[in-house]
Amino acid sequence: MALINLPGFSAALLADFVSRGTERVDTPIIQPAEPFLDMAGEDLRRRIFLTESETGENLCLRPEFTIPVCLRHIESAMGTPKRYAYLGEVFRQRRDGPNEFFQAGIEDLGDGDTAAADARAIGDAMGILKLLLPGKALKVTLGDQAVFEAVVKALGLPLGWQKRLIHAFGNPDRIEQWLQTLASPLPISGIDPKTLELAQSGDDAGLIAHLDETMQATGYSTNASRAPAEIAARLREKLSLAQTKLDDSVLLLLREFLSLELPLAEAPAALAGFADAAGLHLGPAVAAFEARLRALEAAGIDVAPIVYRAAFGRPLDYYTGLVFEVTAGESQAVLAGGGRFDRLMTLLGASSHIPAVGFALWLDRIEAERARS
Amino acid sequence: MTITIAVPSKGRMKEDSAAIFERAGLKIVAVGNERSYRGRVEGFDDIEIAFLSASEISRELGNGSVDFGVTGEDLMREQMAEVDSRVEFCARLGFGHADVVVAVPEIWVDVDSMADLGDVAADFRARHHRRLTIATKYWRLTQQHFSGSHGIQLYRIVESLGATEGAPAAGQADIIVDITSTGSTLTANHLKILSDGVILRSQACLVRARKREHEADARVKRIVEAVRRAL
Repeated sequence: MALINLPGFSAALLADFVSRGTERVDTPIIQPAEPFLDMAGEDLRRRIFLTESETGENLCLRPEFTIPVCLRHIESAMGTPKRYAYLGEVFRQRRDGPNEFFQAGIEDLGDGDTAAADARAIGDAMGILKLLLPGKALKVTLGDQAVFEAVVKALGLPLGWQKRLIHAFGNPDRIEQWLQTLASPLPISGIDPKTLELAQSGDDAGLIAHLDETMQATGYSTNASRAPAEIAARLREKLSLAQTKLDDSVLLLLREFLSLELPLAEAPAALAGFADAAGLHLGPAVAAFEARLRALEAAGIDVAPIVYRAAFGRPLDYYTGLVFEVTAGESQAVLAGGGRFDRLMTLLGASSHIPAVGFALWLDRIEAERARS
Repeated sequence: MTITIAVPSKGRMKEDSAAIFERAGLKIVAVGNERSYRGRVEGFDDIEIAFLSASEISRELGNGSVDFGVTGEDLMREQMAEVDSRVEFCARLGFGHADVVVAVPEIWVDVDSMADLGDVAADFRARHHRRLTIATKYWRLTQQHFSGSHGIQLYRIVESLGATEGAPAAGQADIIVDITSTGSTLTANHLKILSDGVILRSQACLVRARKREHEADARVKRIVEAVRRAL
């Protein structure tokens, strides 16, 4: 289909995708809505164009390409590794800017050499933007979910607290709220005395039996939702969460880590220095972080414009490692954004674990940037 | 220009509205028979009354086809984005009290706050191979409270158009967001309100559609002041 409103540089971009060894894919504009709502949460509902099929299925206009490309890959039972490129319209309800605009990008599925695949994704995004915006200085912000998770784990917090912090990564307000709770825990409330006594006495079987009995008596089926054992386990976890008061020194370490922002080339040394000074063992996450930097250098990618910001992440539970964004010149507009989502393929129904990394280009913003220069 | 005030067309809300307008010196009389859907205000030829259902009233206020309306704050905030820029809540009328709340099964002894619920929601998929589900007819209020105020993204809404409080026991959803006035229906269904689970304390309000022509209209101000004095 020939679209006459394509950005003027589309042909050059598509040729570039080919030269990068990717396979062009297209996906239907009308998509089942469930996968998007399931992955990104209900919040997305206000921002997509929803409709219903005659048979009651929720449908939406394609709000992005990653999920459709991944679903198409799973359905077509293609082998991996595979690098897909796409270019097409996406549809989102936006208060500023038009509701339909073009995006392009690359999804790299199944490459087990994650350092090299990460480096290639960053290199591709930078290379394409250099081609489309000649002479513009690019800025890349890079974050790493796995490094944050390693720091949180190494600090020795109870598992429940680790999960809370990891889940909040990329949402600064939420992280700050948790750090404050960790500094001064809130008292436990709302638990009846008998249950509390059972939980505190460590009588697991008794607690589960008590919950099971109550559930039967109140007519709550125990199979559809949370079972007594799950509730009992979380109750014990909650009691330990409430008793956790972080040492000021540990809190300072967390804050110090989250405030790290420095050129990527200096980041491995800074992370090692931070770990040493704090007496933490960060293990494979930091090794993988450094391997990614080496892979960038080995691929001949200029790392000078890349800044590592430790607090930079995306609060979605399928992102697992690298996240990055690219801007140009003085503008704050994100022209490309991407990351590693190793959990997405299995969440979408893939039968085996498929590592995945990709990025999307905001073609309307790139066009505006080209017009400015 | 005629000023149109939309008031509830039946039930307690109709009676309570009529009583307040009468105390405010704006006695509502039906045009034609008792069941008529048009009315007027005794002594004011330029005020018209439209008897509508509460949800129609919030819709008509939203598109500006009436000037004032008596309706629940919950309906206004649910049905309209950026509600405060489009309408003015002129007065809370002291009736039609209903809280929009987050309620979970009593048996969830480990869940007392939104933070607890956030923990449960984050883990839900790994344990149950699906997201935590919420039965509600309040999509917007639920999203604002969960995502906006408490950073909880990972849940799914199951639309419920009636008997929402029965959904968890029936296995249709895990928890609910619903209105309650006394809490007795929740208790009867073995549900409890989270300590920070009150999304909105709603009551009937006199609501004005924000229109430019109201600015220079002394009658608009007089109606608001008369109703406020009658409370």
